Parts: sequence; structure tokens; C-alpha cells
Amino acid sequence: MSRSQPTETDADVTAETERESFTGQGLPRVEDHRILTGRAEYIHDITPENCLHMALVRSMHAHADVVEIDTSEAEAHPECELVLTGEDLRAEYNPMPTGIETVTTDDGTEGTIEEWSLAADTVRFVGEPVAAVIATNRYVAEDIADLVDVTYDPKDAVADGLAAREDEVVVHESVGTNVVDHERLEFGDPEAAFEEADHVVEGEFSWGRISGVPLETAGVVAQYDDDTDSFDIDCNIQLHTLVDDTIYETLGYDADDVRVNVPADVGGSYGTKIAIHRYCCLAAMASKALDRPVKFEEDRIENLQGGDMHCSDREYRMRLAVDDDGTMCGLDVWFVDDFGAFPRYPINQVLKPLSVLTNSYVIEDAVYEYDLVLTNKTSQTAYRGFGVDPHIYALEMIVDQAARELGMDPTEFRRQNLIEPDQQPYTLPSKNLYDSGDYPATLDRIEEIIEDERDGGLLDPEVVAAKREEGKYRGVQPSVIIEPGVSGSDWTDRQRSDREALADRPRDDVDELPEHLRAQLREDGTVRAYLATDSSGQGHQTLVSQLLADELELLPSDIEVDYLDSVDAPTEYGSAASRMAVMLSGATVGVAEALIEALEAVAADHWEVSTDEVAYRDGQVERADGSDTLSLTELAAIDAEGEKRRTHVSYNYDHPATDFEEFDDAFSQKLPVYPTAAFGANAPIVEVDVNTGEVDILKFYTVRDCGTMLNPMIVEGQAHGGIAQGVGAALLEEFGYEENGQPQAITLFDYLLPSIENVPEIEMEHTVTPSPFTVTGAKGVGEGGMIDAPASIATSINAALEPLEVDAPADQIPVSPAHLRSKLREERQ
Amino acid sequence: MSTDSTGSDDGPVTEEITITVNGTDVTAAVEPRLKLSDFLRYECDQHGVRVGCEHGVCGACTVQQDGRTVKSCLSYAVQADGAEIETVEGLAAEDGSLHPIQEAFHETHALQCGFCTSGFVMAAKELLEENPDPSREEIETGLADNICRCTGYQNIYEAVERAAERMEE
Repeated sequence: MSRSQPTETDADVTAETERESFTGQGLPRVEDHRILTGRAEYIHDITPENCLHMALVRSMHAHADVVEIDTSEAEAHPECELVLTGEDLRAEYNPMPTGIETVTTDDGTEGTIEEWSLAADTVRFVGEPVAAVIATNRYVAEDIADLVDVTYDPKDAVADGLAAREDEVVVHESVGTNVVDHERLEFGDPEAAFEEADHVVEGEFSWGRISGVPLETAGVVAQYDDDTDSFDIDCNIQLHTLVDDTIYETLGYDADDVRVNVPADVGGSYGTKIAIHRYCCLAAMASKALDRPVKFEEDRIENLQGGDMHCSDREYRMRLAVDDDGTMCGLDVWFVDDFGAFPRYPINQVLKPLSVLTNSYVIEDAVYEYDLVLTNKTSQTAYRGFGVDPHIYALEMIVDQAARELGMDPTEFRRQNLIEPDQQPYTLPSKNLYDSGDYPATLDRIEEIIEDERDGGLLDPEVVAAKREEGKYRGVQPSVIIEPGVSGSDWTDRQRSDREALADRPRDDVDELPEHLRAQLREDGTVRAYLATDSSGQGHQTLVSQLLADELELLPSDIEVDYLDSVDAPTEYGSAASRMAVMLSGATVGVAEALIEALEAVAADHWEVSTDEVAYRDGQVERADGSDTLSLTELAAIDAEGEKRRTHVSYNYDHPATDFEEFDDAFSQKLPVYPTAAFGANAPIVEVDVNTGEVDILKFYTVRDCGTMLNPMIVEGQAHGGIAQGVGAALLEEFGYEENGQPQAITLFDYLLPSIENVPEIEMEHTVTPSPFTVTGAKGVGEGGMIDAPASIATSINAALEPLEVDAPADQIPVSPAHLRSKLREERQ
Repeated sequence: MSTDSTGSDDGPVTEEITITVNGTDVTAAVEPRLKLSDFLRYECDQHGVRVGCEHGVCGACTVQQDGRTVKSCLSYAVQADGAEIETVEGLAAEDGSLHPIQEAFHETHALQCGFCTSGFVMAAKELLEENPDPSREEIETGLADNICRCTGYQNIYEAVERAAERMEE
């Protein structure tokens, strides 16, 4: 049932004229043509013949016992094909894998957390599915879902992460506590650092629940095959080769019997779609029961309310130890992360900030401590930045506060503590390494840019003063921010590991995830490459065709790029952690070498000479003596005569940290390893209306460095999009909840996405500091903007309001007008 | 959304409508509750009409009805009876060459995942038909009903400006 769309020659490649280096060019994307003409096939477009449609019955209570589910009226509907309840699932299938299955409480008792695709005895968040209805079309399925009569016995709910720690209301009685994971990590000697420092600065900061909210909701088409007792599942899940275990383990099948295929076009993911396995499982179960394809399209209200797609929700207490001379001596990070009703796979995002623990600053002694709590809210999943964005925000807030308490200029305070270029590669106290970069020069450059605005521009003192008369306060506060890229995977099992055993864990036990790429010479002399990963707008097909064209000395239009499904592809890590540019470019170089070697071998055998006497050049193999050449078409024909296709090759590019023993401590202790550190300095110029609390970003200046830019157009596109999401996070977006667990943002009228009216003009400069750790020098860049913009916007708001001497006005994200108004009023009273 | 179709032996109540979709007349018997977006997607195979929110905020489903943009998830197919609808599928020339707006979106990288793109292209078309040389403020107003989650809008401004230049030539 593979429906992926390879790149095709009708997708114009306008930039190609003659053979030249395509790497580093802003080649327009090969993906665009089909999208722009309406021919792209997203998951919502796939409706096989004879397909049935599923609708879900969802809980309207945040916490309740399910007393009875009466399906009789629904089943009596003439167009009802099936109603599934939690009881049906328990008879035949398994619970869905969770991030933490067993919790040991302080008194030593063990309890387990089970999450089923449909709740049976208890519902734990508004929107949790309790029944699935399958009918002839989506309209009728929704009609019938209304006829399922569920009787609930409501219970008290807890919807606040800090309050949940008290365990007055327990979300899972089986474990008896809401605090399902806790860790305190100490690096260096933080106790001494805090004792000896001249000052200790303390602050509390909160980061509200937000998410990626892709415009395309989740979708799945599942088809059970009775003959082979296996499933074909088309869906828009992210990381389909990695998280397919959440589907096949729930179904109780082997991986090879559950073929998960993601269309070539996915309407945005940003991490959030890794958690749509519930829908895949339910559609598959229904398909098996009915022996027909079953389709589910999530609607927007389902997506926002109970679609398993929310992200980090944190309360921070930060402490910074500083000396009178402005030296940062110690950092103490404590936070509670409210995970919602079930601890999912993205529990790892509480740990990823360790990879950038001290951001761009030299701080050698640090504490990192968290409580991971459950509440009666939708479960968390991953979102662009994977938990780093709140950390960078809270850290930049405490740095601002420290500068103010020391009476220092916040920029000078930052500069004084930046990691210097001669300290690179720089080892963080938390054992990760930054690869390369000149952070002070980057801060200097953004300062120069702002200086221009101070001289007759947006920040001209006269303009600023006149605006203040109107109650509009302008300001900017730059900072240098790191984007960790290209995760290894082993650390993600830290929560499930015996942490005491990690101290002596041998390096050989560490698993790292390579990236897989295949290339095949085709009969017509073109090359088709196969990605093992899915894509949601990042231009992977363009990138691979562009780089492979260079390696093989062909044109991008000679290369087609297609995708593998979860069975054909090895279990690799895929699209996550800003990996793809680095991993795909490394894999492209490797697979091209393998293909060239194969082509030379085929030619050498054909001519009956040794491979030393032939050479691949310019799309053909030549004999060293110049007597003959074989084109790719001829080589394909020769190869086709053999028993085994030698020109079908594959390559696994190892994780770039593998070869560097500097990463061994991080690897063996299961600490996050992110071997590339893209970096940049932001300077958003903001204007705060002190009467309304509204924040207008007048212009967003940014200087960014992601090492080698493989396709500058795509790099900039990622940054633009990331900054736009960062603007939304900083000022607009939040999944608020009532105390009783009722969600307050269930439509796009309540959950405010930035429109063209909210996103400022972005002026972007680039510097290029290649990574010494990666084959192409590229650094990961997929999460930038979202990681850094909220922190920068918040520091700029603080700077704008500094004359009013309000205590940390931007101490919560989003910095909503209501929040700013109340902070300003408190201060005036 | 429920109608009195339940339990009726005669099946759901339907109404016959004819809509001209990208120049072709489509006649069908549809339930009054069938959204125009679903009619276009499923009865007319115009999959370029994307459904992102179904409550009129995101604009992915934007099409032109009798020359004006509408959000096709907010109206019913029966309301478009007799109308002329144009979707993104109707833009490229018969020889396959792209409309200047499509071309400009491609060249300026004004799309990433592309799910919002048809809506933006159709909104830009109406804007440029009414105002062939829009300022940035006018582009902002013209596209304020559409949400993009990937590109951050900067390249969309550039696409519209470039398309305006091309269309004037």
C-alpha cells in the first residue's frame, strides 16, 4: 500500500544549468510542484475503495469512573458497522507502551501505569476516548457516536502541576502518587559554588502548555489482511520507523506484520505527531474486526482538546550564584513538569536541556533537578526543541535578573561569561560538547546592528522618549543562544535505567542510531534514492537529490528520491532532534561512495580488468587507458544480467559523536549527546503598551550560524518558521485549564496561532562555522527559532519595561497582555 | 450536525445541485449538511482543498466562489448550487505551466509542509485581482485570514510581491 511520491522530473529544477556544485545553493524544492498544483497526497487524501470511517466518543470529564457504556442504540443504527469499547480491547489486545510503566514510591511499593487505546474503568482527561464507532462515512460515524451512552461517576481532578505533587488527588491510584519520576543531578561542586559566591539570585518562572498544532490533523487508514494476518497502516505519524513499536506492541503483532507507511507529504509535525499511535491502533483493530479498510481523520477540536499533542508545561525555580565582578559561579535548576494523564515516550524532554545546561556561558558547577508529575490533562508529546525552549527561557530570565541585582548592564554581564572561541570544542558540566563557534563575535555583531537602530532608527532615544509619553515602552535585550542538534538515542532510556549502575557502564554497551540511505541505479541511467525517514516539509528529497548529484557528478533531475515504509526501513531514528541535514548529508556521501565502488566493479568485470584500471567520472566509468567508457544506462543493463544487483547499495551513516571519545562520559552515563551546536544571537525590538499590556515586535534581528549551509533557502525557511512559532509561544499560545481540568482552548479561536499580522519582519544574517564533528560541517538547525525566540522576546520585554522597575515582568510564557497588565498594576499599587 | 436521516428507510434527505468546479459542471445529490469543502474534496476530487480546522480560522480550505474567496469549510455544498468554484487545481495552464502565483511561491520558498499553501495561493489570487500592486500592509490585510505554521510569512510576502510583478508584465 505504498503511496509515497518520489521526486519526478516534472518537478522543475530551475537552478540547474550545467554541472556545478549544488551543495550550498538555495535550490528550489522538488517537493513544491505537486503541492502547488494540488496533486500532493497527504493522509487525508487517501481513501481506499470500500473504506469505512471511524469517529471517537470522548470523555467530557477530566476525572471520572466509567459506570456503564450503553452501545445498544448506536449499534441499532442501520449504518453502524461496529462499536468498540475498552472492554473489547482488553479481550484481544495490549495496553499502549508508556514512558514509565513501573513506579516505585518512597515506601518501596511498586505500581504500574497502563494506558489503553480506549479507557475502560476510569477516564483521566477531557477528550480521552472511551469508544470508537465505525460507519459508512464520517458524518454518519459522528451521528452514531452521539448515540453511545456513557454513564460517568465524576471524581475530583487535579490540573495544576505544583498542586499535583501533594497527592491529594491521585491520577493513577495503582501507583499512589502523581510524582512518577524525579532526579537530582549534580555536576562539579555546586554546594561550594553557592556557598562561596558573593550573591545568590533566585527567581520563579513558568512556561505554559503549548504545542506545534500542525495545520494537518492526525489521520490514519488501516487495512487488515486476513490472508497474511498482518496490517498495512498509512498514517502521518512522525518517526515511523522508531515509534512503530507503539503500534505493533499494542496490537500484539511482530514488527514485520505491521507495515507503517507515511505519505511523502505531511502537513506539519514539529515533533507532535509522534504520539498519534492511539488512532493507528484503533483503526487497525476496527479493520481487523470488519475486514475492511478503516479511516480516521482527527478534527481540530479533538486535536486541541485530547489529541495527545500538548507539550512542556513547567514551573521553574532557578538560582544563579554570582560574584561582585560579574562572574557566574553556579547554576541551580529545579522544575516541575506537568505531563498530563500518562507519562509518554517524550519524558526524555525533561533531560534534553542538559545538552545545553549553561547555554552559552561558562558555569562549571550546576544542579539539575526535576519532578515529573501527572495531572488530569492531555498527555504530553514532543514539540520542536523538545524541552530546551523552556530551559533557555528560564535561564535567560535569571541571567537578566542577576545583572539587574548586580547593577550591571545585562549585555556586558552576558559577554563577560560567554564561552570563548579558543575554549571550543567546549565540554559542558553535563558532559555534552559544543563543537565550534565564536559566541562573543556574534554578540558583538548583533550589538552593532542594534546600534544602528539607536541612531535615528526604531530605538532612537528621541523616538523612544516620545513613544513613552504615549505609554509605549520600547526595548531590546540580545543574548546568544545554542541549538543542540543531532541526538544520539541511548540517553532516552535513562528514565528506565538503573541510574546507580550508570556510573560504571562500559562505553561498548551504548547504542547509537545511524541514518540509513539506499541508492539504486535504474535501467534508464537515473538513480533512485530511498529515505528511511519521514518528512513534513523540511525538503529532505531536495536535499538528498542536490547532494547526491554532486557526489555522483550528475544533475539533481537525474536523481529521484522516495521513501521506505517501517518494514523495509531499518529501525533508525529519523526526523527528530534537528538531525536530518547532518545525518542525510553524511549518509549521502557514504551511499554515493558505495555506488561508485559498485559501478567501477561492474565495469571492471565487464572489461575483465582490475578495478584499479577504471575510474568513475562525470556520470560514467572510464578505462584508465582511455580506450572505452560505459554510461550509467549501459552499466545498468550489464548489472541486470547478473544474479544480484550490485548497483543497489545502502549505507548507514553513524552518529557523528561515535568517533569522538570526548563524548564517552555522556554516552556511558546516558546523558544527552548532541554533537552539533548551532548558535545565534537574537535582538527582537519590542514595544509594550503599558495600558493594554500588548506587546508588538517591531523587528526581529537575528545572526545565526549552523555550520555549512547545505541549502541556504531551506535553512532560512526553517529559521523563519521557528521564529514564527517562537513568537506564538512567547505572546499568544497556551492550553489553559480550569481547576477542574476543563480545557479552555479547544478551537483556534481560543488557541491563538500567529497570523501574518503577528509575525514581525525578520532580518537575518548568517555566519558559517563548520562543525568539526560532521562529514559536511553542517549543524542541526530544525528547532532553531522555537528554541531561542521566546527567551529573546521575554528578555526584550524586561528591557523595555526596565524604567518602570517592575520585578521580572516577563516571568511567564506566554507573556499575555493580561499578565503584563496585572504585573504593571501590582507595581503601581 | 445530525439530521433526520437516522432510522429512515429512504436513507438521508438529499438535494440535487450543480456546481461549476474549475470550469466543469458537477451535478450530484447531496445531503444538505455536506460541507462545500467535503463536496470539493470527495465528490469532485479536488484534493488541493485542504481542511485544517473546520471552523473558519486557518483558511487552508480557501477557494474562489464566483470570483470571491470563501472558506469552503464554513459553507454547505447546497449553498453553492449554481455557483462557479475555482480551486488551486484550476490555476495552472492547460500545458501544465504554473500560474505566476504558484511560480512565485516556489521560487521564494513560500511553502514548507504545504498544507496551507492552496489557501494562501487562492487568497493571494483574490488580493492581486483586486489590487495588482499591493503594499506590505495590504498584503497583510489580504492574507490575515490564513494561517501558516511553517514558513513564518516572510517568504509569503515576497511571493505575493513577485507574483504581482509577473502578472503586471
